[in-house]
Amino acid sequence: MSELHVENLTVAYGGSRVLNGVSLHVRPGEFVALLGSSGCGKTTLLRAVSGFVPVDGGRIAIAGRDVTKAPPERRDTAMVFQSYALWPHMTTAQNIGYGLKLRRWTRPRIAERVAEMLRLLKLDGLADRNVTQLSGGQRQRVALGRALAIDPDILLLDEPLSNLDARIRLELRHEIRALQQRLGITAVHVTHDREEAMVMADRIVILNAGVIAQIGTPEEIYRRPASAFVASFLGADNVVPLQATRTERTLEIAAGPDHDAVSLPLGGDGAQDGAQVEMPGSGPVAAHFRTESVRLASAGHTPPDALVLRGRITQAAYPGGRWRYGVAVGGTVFLVDDDDRRTVGDAVAIVIPPSALHCFPLRREAAGTA
Amino acid sequence: MSAPLPTEANRPAPFLRKGGGRDATALPVTAALPDWVWGVLLVLPALAMVALFFLYPLGLSAVSAFQGRDGGWTLANIAKAFELYSLDMAFTLAIVLLSSALVAVLSVAIGGYLTLGENRLAVTMLRWLYRWPLFIPFIVAAQMMRSFLAKNGLMNNLLIGGGIIEPLQAASLLDWRGVVVTFVWKQTPFVALMVAGAMASLDRSTIEAARDLGAGRLRILAEIVVPQVRPTLVVGLILSFVTMLSVMSVPMMINPNSPTMITVDMAYRINAHGDYGVANALGFVSYAMAGLVGWVYLRHGVRQGGAR
Repeated sequence: MSELHVENLTVAYGGSRVLNGVSLHVRPGEFVALLGSSGCGKTTLLRAVSGFVPVDGGRIAIAGRDVTKAPPERRDTAMVFQSYALWPHMTTAQNIGYGLKLRRWTRPRIAERVAEMLRLLKLDGLADRNVTQLSGGQRQRVALGRALAIDPDILLLDEPLSNLDARIRLELRHEIRALQQRLGITAVHVTHDREEAMVMADRIVILNAGVIAQIGTPEEIYRRPASAFVASFLGADNVVPLQATRTERTLEIAAGPDHDAVSLPLGGDGAQDGAQVEMPGSGPVAAHFRTESVRLASAGHTPPDALVLRGRITQAAYPGGRWRYGVAVGGTVFLVDDDDRRTVGDAVAIVIPPSALHCFPLRREAAGTA
Repeated sequence: MSAPLPTEANRPAPFLRKGGGRDATALPVTAALPDWVWGVLLVLPALAMVALFFLYPLGLSAVSAFQGRDGGWTLANIAKAFELYSLDMAFTLAIVLLSSALVAVLSVAIGGYLTLGENRLAVTMLRWLYRWPLFIPFIVAAQMMRSFLAKNGLMNNLLIGGGIIEPLQAASLLDWRGVVVTFVWKQTPFVALMVAGAMASLDRSTIEAARDLGAGRLRILAEIVVPQVRPTLVVGLILSFVTMLSVMSVPMMINPNSPTMITVDMAYRINAHGDYGVANALGFVSYAMAGLVGWVYLRHGVRQGGAR
């Protein structure tokens, strides 16, 4: 169980900066997910920690030891790769035991440890099987066993579930998390799958364009995204531009072409039911809300304590559980989930409770086009 | 794929497609000829080429190894070949095996450095340099080696000039060692080209996984990279083995005296004595050696095919 310190890390490929002053502290035994879209630098950060990417500036320390300049083989990390990266000329047992062979363990000790890993990963009976004969899920378990067998300081997971089919992926998510907690190992997990990060990690690091956009527990980043980017990335991607004024306890929203003026309570500081507003004073704001945290009401039956957008249903789909509607408000189509079955063309109102609103100042250029 | 073969183009249109579409009115003759006949007809020109220019001369040479000057069957040629040249046969096998072994080591080293090397300049230079001997014919290589390895050749001059050896210590390498050096110099790039290609196409993360667990680069080369490219390495070595077995210019120019390679003996039997019988008997021994590695190659190929 070791901690990882990354301080002001900068990495560039051929002149373009991929990581720009990233600082991160992973506590012993903690499971941290690096989340972001393609090209945000999350894999580069992981590969810099493992030593495969040379660092231009900053410092990396594992278990208090500065490893910034150390080659990968001198860092006590173990990586699980997206492509499994198993050695096809070796059996399951040989793959798992290779790291121990490198550490000059005796054969009986290796055999014992490999058997323990096989048991732990539900791979009993597959020790002598060639890894090319295993299924995708089994292969990734072997890769996990190979990494865990050496009891590394830090376990690095580079999108390990991306190549697996959906059912196996869900299964392995929980297995990896349970194993990590049971062994108390420090883990850094790279993923672009929001739900995967939410269910597996103690803390999530959201990266955007080479910088950290937010660090927090899954609940923190979900309930209080620090920026419009994080809000959109975490599913609050319905955005409505509003004119609003923040008072001490309320957000006063001015009337617009598709909504009436309304006064909503502010959230934060323990108040979970109010709107999140990340701006002082008054001005244009981008109000983000999630598809699943609002509901529809028939026109004329709207509650007074919520922001209500008037629109018309343009699309309907049933993804299971609830209906999902495309509702056109002005020139914008919002996706909204609702329990009731409705018809395309119906005039409806989107009811956005204060707790579903995440408001960020609207940038001037964005305001012009909104 | 879609372009018709010449034989198809010459056929009347209805023959091209049987049944269906606008060619549905196929002549009865199409139905009379089963598909396999067309298959045989298509492959016939290629088969004829192989038979005429390869199987026939090979068979003739093999058969005449067992025929006397009077045309009767005899083992005299084989007996004479072994009596006169058994040492040369062993010499040939030893030279080619030793050369193949050295080619294996060097090509793995070159491929390994190209794959795992971290000094970009060195990797670029090596990549640029190592292929040169591929474009130089054996006879030119042999001539170069004669001036390089001779007693007063370039190598000894360099060694003396550099103060590494005394002038009196200078010795000619124009014997079996010269043949091995030339073969290795000439064949290493060929095998290295194949091996480096195979190494470059490996899943890079299998190498990174080993490094991540703590393996050094030599260990990765030996335990992770080479086992994965072994089929390519074996194929390269076998092709190289057969090539070296058939080269006459190198032993002729560097090491013409006994013991020498059997290619030189074959030329001698024909040029000096007009003795095709013993020359063919020596050729037969050569096929046997090549056939042996061919068998290994096929066995290896079948095993690889089975594994997939």
